[in-house]
Amino acid sequence: MCVGLSAKVVSVKDDVAIVDASGARRKVSAALLSDLEPGDFVMVHAGTAIAKITDDDEEESGALLDLL
Amino acid sequence: MNQTIERAKEILTRYDGPHCRIMEVCGTHTHEIFRQGIRRILPEQIELISGPGCPVCVTPVGFIDEAIWLALEKGVTVCTFGDLVRVPGTEASLQTARGKGAAVKVVYTPLDAERYAAEHPDKQVVFLSVGFETTTPSACLAVRKAQQDGIRNFSLLTANKTMPGAYEAMKDSTDLFLYPGHVHAITGTGICEKLAEEGVSGVCAGFTASELLAALAVAVTRYQEGKPFFVNCYPRVVRPEGSPKAQSLVAAMMEPCDEEWRGIGVIPGSGMRLKESCQMYDARVRFRVPEMAGRANPACRCGQVLKGELLPPQCKVFGKACTPEHPVGACMVSSEGACSAWYLYGQNL
Amino acid sequence: MTDTITMAHGAGGKQTSELIHGIFEKHLGNEYFTADDAAVLPPVCGRLAMTTDGFIVSPQFFPGGNIGKLSICGTVNDLSCMGARPLYMTCAFVIEEGFRIDELDQIAAAMAKTAGEAGVRLVAGDTKVAGKGQCGGVFITTTGVGEIVEGVRMSGACARPGDAVIVTGDIGRHGTAILLARDDYGIEAEVTSDCAPLWKPVEAVLSSGLRPHVIRDATRGGVGTVLYEIAAESGVGIRLETEKIPVQPAVRGVTGMLGLEPLYLACEGRLVIICPQEETGRLMEILHGQTCTEGAAVIGCITAENKGRVVMTTQIGAQTLLPEPGNELLPRIC
Repeated sequence: MCVGLSAKVVSVKDDVAIVDASGARRKVSAALLSDLEPGDFVMVHAGTAIAKITDDDEEESGALLDLL
Repeated sequence: MNQTIERAKEILTRYDGPHCRIMEVCGTHTHEIFRQGIRRILPEQIELISGPGCPVCVTPVGFIDEAIWLALEKGVTVCTFGDLVRVPGTEASLQTARGKGAAVKVVYTPLDAERYAAEHPDKQVVFLSVGFETTTPSACLAVRKAQQDGIRNFSLLTANKTMPGAYEAMKDSTDLFLYPGHVHAITGTGICEKLAEEGVSGVCAGFTASELLAALAVAVTRYQEGKPFFVNCYPRVVRPEGSPKAQSLVAAMMEPCDEEWRGIGVIPGSGMRLKESCQMYDARVRFRVPEMAGRANPACRCGQVLKGELLPPQCKVFGKACTPEHPVGACMVSSEGACSAWYLYGQNL
Repeated sequence: MTDTITMAHGAGGKQTSELIHGIFEKHLGNEYFTADDAAVLPPVCGRLAMTTDGFIVSPQFFPGGNIGKLSICGTVNDLSCMGARPLYMTCAFVIEEGFRIDELDQIAAAMAKTAGEAGVRLVAGDTKVAGKGQCGGVFITTTGVGEIVEGVRMSGACARPGDAVIVTGDIGRHGTAILLARDDYGIEAEVTSDCAPLWKPVEAVLSSGLRPHVIRDATRGGVGTVLYEIAAESGVGIRLETEKIPVQPAVRGVTGMLGLEPLYLACEGRLVIICPQEETGRLMEILHGQTCTEGAAVIGCITAENKGRVVMTTQIGAQTLLPEPGNELLPRIC
C-alpha cells in the first residue's frame, strides 16, 4: 500500500529536502517534518518525507526479540 | 543470514500454539512476504491472509471510468502513479485508453503533477488521488502548492481512503492484524491501542525481512499468551502520536465521506474528499463528472479474497481467464494484490 | 553542408552523397565499405552466424554511450553469444528531418570506435529520411555476420542440471541510465550504461578451450527474462542466490525509489553464461581478467526440478519464484 524508502537528508531549504538512498538523489517535500537537518534519516513515500527515523532495522528488530 | 532473522525464524518455525490467522493489511507487506518467501517457512498453524490494503485493489471500477472520461471527453492530462495504469475499468484501462489518444502521464509524486500543471498552463492536469493515510498528505501538499502558486489548471480526482473503517469491517475475518507501518507513521497508534482494548490484537510492522519476521515472531508469541495485545514493532518510524503536521494538513483540506471499496462495498466515512474551500481543485466539481456506477466482471471474486474468505487459487478465473497480462479483477492487476502475488511468486516449488 | 537533416538528404542526389561521404564513409570506411550496390567479401571457411537488430532509444545520447555505440554492441554481442567472431556488418539509418548533423557525426564516430574494438567491419549501409514526426530522431538497424569458432555449439537449449549460472557484471545499469536520462521521475544518480561490445571476453573464453553450454546477452527484459528463456528452451529449472546477484548501490537506490526489480532492467554489456560446474573456476578467472567482465559472479545453478521456472533463495533462506517477466515496467508507489 505504501512503498517507503529510507533515505539520508543531504540538504534542506524551506520545505524541500534533497535525500539520498544509496546514491540515488531526489527532491522531496519536507513540509511534514520540523527541524530536519543534513545527515538525518527519513522515510520517503510518494515524494514526501513522512517520518524522521533511525536507519537501523536490525538493532530494533533484535531488541524486540530480546523482550520475548 | 543475519542473527535477527535467524532468531525470529526459529521462534516462528518452532511455534506450536493454537492456529493463528494473521491478516497483513498492507499490500506492500503482501508483496514483501511473497518476495522473501516468508509463507514457505511458516508452520501450518500460522496462516497469513492478505487484507484490503492495496489502494489499487480497492479502487472501484467507476473511478477508472471517471479518469478515462476526463482524458477522452475533456482532453485533460491524467497524471497517475504507475500502479493504476493497467487497472481494468468497465471497458478499458488507462493503458488501453492511451492507445485511443488519452494523455496519461506516470508520476512519482502528486507534487510532480502539480509542477507539470505549472509548466503547462495550456493543459488541464488531473492527478488520480488514490491511497491511504500515508499518501493523502502528499496530495494535500500538491493542492496547497497550487493554491500558493496560483495554479488553476490542476485538480485531484479523489479516491483517498482511511483504514479504521476497514479494520472494523475486517476484524472478524482474522485473529490479529499485521498493521501497515507507514499508515501508522501518519495516524499514530491510538486506533491500534483502542482495538486491543476491544479485544482485537495486532502488531505494527516494518517492511524489511528482519522487521517482518520480528513482528510476526512477536505476534505469535503474544497470541499464545491468550490476552489481547498491541505491540508497535516499528518504533523507528512509527510514533504513538503519528505525524501531527500531516494530520492537521489533511484535516484542514479534506473531510471524510462514504467511500466504495472495490469488492467490499461502501464503508461509511472511510473516504476523504476535498472540502468546499478547496473545491476548485476537485476534478469532479470542475469538470462536472457524471455519476459512473462502473461494472466489475461478475466472475471476479476479489471481494472475498480481500476479506480473507477465499484464497486466490480458489477463485474460478484465477490463473485461467485472470492473469497479470489479462487481469479480470484488481487483485490481479496490482503487483501488491493478493492474486498477483500468488500467481507470480507461485504456490508449490 | 546544412546543420540539420533535410528531406533532400534522403532523395538520393547530391546531398545524400554528401552525407554518405561526409559522415558515414569518413568514420566507417574500410577496404570493404562499398560504393556499389552490394559489398563483395572474401570467402570464409567456417560455419556462419547471422543476425539483425533494430535500435530505437530515447534519449539517443545517454551516460555511457549513444544509439550508434548501442547499435554495434547489440549485433556484435548477439554474434558473440553464438561463439561467432564478428566479421562484417551493415547498417540502415532512418533519420528524422531536422536531426542535427553534428549529432549524427557523433553517432557515426561512436559506431566506428566500437566496431574497431570488436574487430568488425561495416561494409554497407542505407540512409532514409523520414518527415518530421514520423520517427523520433534516428533509428538504426544493424545486421551482422560472424564465423563460428570451430567446435563451438551453443544454444539456449543446452543448459544441463548442475551447470553454473554466471552473470558477467552488475546488472540493470543500461535500463537505469536510460530511465534517469529521460528524467521522468526527477531522480538523479551517477549511473552509466554498461553498453559494451563483448566479443573479446567471449573469444578469450573460447580460445582457452572452455566450452560453455549457453551464452546469452541480457538486453531488453534484463537478466530475469534471459533466465526464463533458457529455463524454457532447455527444459530445466534455475536456482538463484539473491544475495550473490551484483547490483550497483545507485541502481539499487533508484529501483528502490520506484519499486522496480533490477533483474528486469535492460543491460547492454552483460552476458549470462551457463557452464559445466567443473569449468567455473577457470571461466571466472578468464572473465575477471578481461575488460567489461571484471565484475563477473556466479549467481546460481541449473536444476532438474522446477522445470521452466526461476527460483530464488531469499535473504531469509527461503525459496520463492522470480516472477515471470511480462508487462511494461511501471513504478510502484502507492
